[in-house]
Amino acid sequence: MELFNENNKLASVIHKDHSLLPVINRLGIKLGFGDKTIRNICEEKGIDLNFFVETINVFHYEAYFPEKRLLDFSVSMVIEYLLKTHKYYIEYLIPENDRLIELFLAANPAESAENDLVRRFYTKFKDEFVIHMNFEERVMFPYILELNGAILNPDLRDAFIKKYPGYSIEGYEKEHSNMDDKMDDLKNIIIKYLPPNYDQNRGNAFLFNLFMFDKDLKNHSRIEDHILIPKVKQLEKVLMSHE
Amino acid sequence: MSNIPTKSILVICPSDIVLTGLFEILKGSQAEEIIQLHRGDEIFDYPALAGHFLVIASPEEIEKSSALIRKILSTDGSVQFMNLQLEPVAVNTNQAVNLFDSPALICYKANEIMNSFPANQSKDTNAELTRRETEVLKLLTKGYSNKEIADQLFVSTHTVISHRKNISEKTGIKSASGMTMYAILKKIIDVNDIDTADLI
Ligand SMILES: [Fe+2]
Ligand SMILES: [Fe+2]
Repeated sequence: MELFNENNKLASVIHKDHSLLPVINRLGIKLGFGDKTIRNICEEKGIDLNFFVETINVFHYEAYFPEKRLLDFSVSMVIEYLLKTHKYYIEYLIPENDRLIELFLAANPAESAENDLVRRFYTKFKDEFVIHMNFEERVMFPYILELNGAILNPDLRDAFIKKYPGYSIEGYEKEHSNMDDKMDDLKNIIIKYLPPNYDQNRGNAFLFNLFMFDKDLKNHSRIEDHILIPKVKQLEKVLMSHE
Repeated sequence: MSNIPTKSILVICPSDIVLTGLFEILKGSQAEEIIQLHRGDEIFDYPALAGHFLVIASPEEIEKSSALIRKILSTDGSVQFMNLQLEPVAVNTNQAVNLFDSPALICYKANEIMNSFPANQSKDTNAELTRRETEVLKLLTKGYSNKEIADQLFVSTHTVISHRKNISEKTGIKSASGMTMYAILKKIIDVNDIDTADLI
């Protein structure tokens, strides 16, 4: 597996791995970048070069996860990326998945009992996921950003400690393994156990989207579990040492 | 996810010319993945690697980082090392790749070692569920806990957990609601017998 570097042309990066398209969008880049290298584009747009390169590489190759370097990125940068990812799920990926699963199921009205099951399973997964993101956006991320603020600005510390006595991310941390399992189950149920008379093309279209969703979601969970949370624990320790 | 352990090659060399050259050449070997590192300790950047590995590096590098590499890589597969010789000395061993070897010879040597990797001890993932596992599955879909199932079947909770694990391995389904779906689609239970609002 070849990792990308700052001297690669972004166009050739996308030719090699087009699943990075939504990732570069989140990092602030739209199509039409001509022959510019990653370095050119990041300088032009004021994007942190290291963050850009590491983010696309971690997405590109699952086995690659340079935890030490990833922990150097600022909390606010990581949260901004995670928020943009949530927005992409809510505004595009989930509605698109809804549309494709309905098309898929509608092609086979005879199997209505099976269809109902698949729909119910998917809806349950989706509801759980939306609640999860909501919680992060309304409770967990604000806590982290305020904690970060209190570290950067000593004047804010008293107010922070008053608002969050015994502050600890452990109370906010939510499991990802449940959602990951359900996502895997949904893929397997459709690939392995669905009755044979369904519409192949619509089934494939739904699965393509689901695979994309799955890859993105696992990457997202990994950033939260292995970058964001450890960073927050570091910050909490720093704050504690100032108390 | 496939259950067949992958065979990968890890090339370690500070020279990008050598790394890139070996990377291109080894694409002709049976390795499914080729990873390039400048130094052995960069292995820390790849915490999620799995499968069998052939590591190609200089004798000094192997001496320095083989323990670390073994520790990180050998969780579920085997790790083998092959020397990378950058001097044009005449060697005639299958245990070393020389800078002046032909691409075909390099791939041949790499394949020889990778052929020695233990074959996939195929856990029969397509096997039908046993009678006992089917019983456990039926009770699971009714919403019983591990403890309740254990009591009903006169076995230990530990046994129930191990049945559950086998069911997951055979079916590829992990969540409780996923198992209920599976049981219905496979006609192990009837959809009318369970409360789908609750269980799926
Ligand atoms: Fe999230
Ligand atoms: Fe999350």
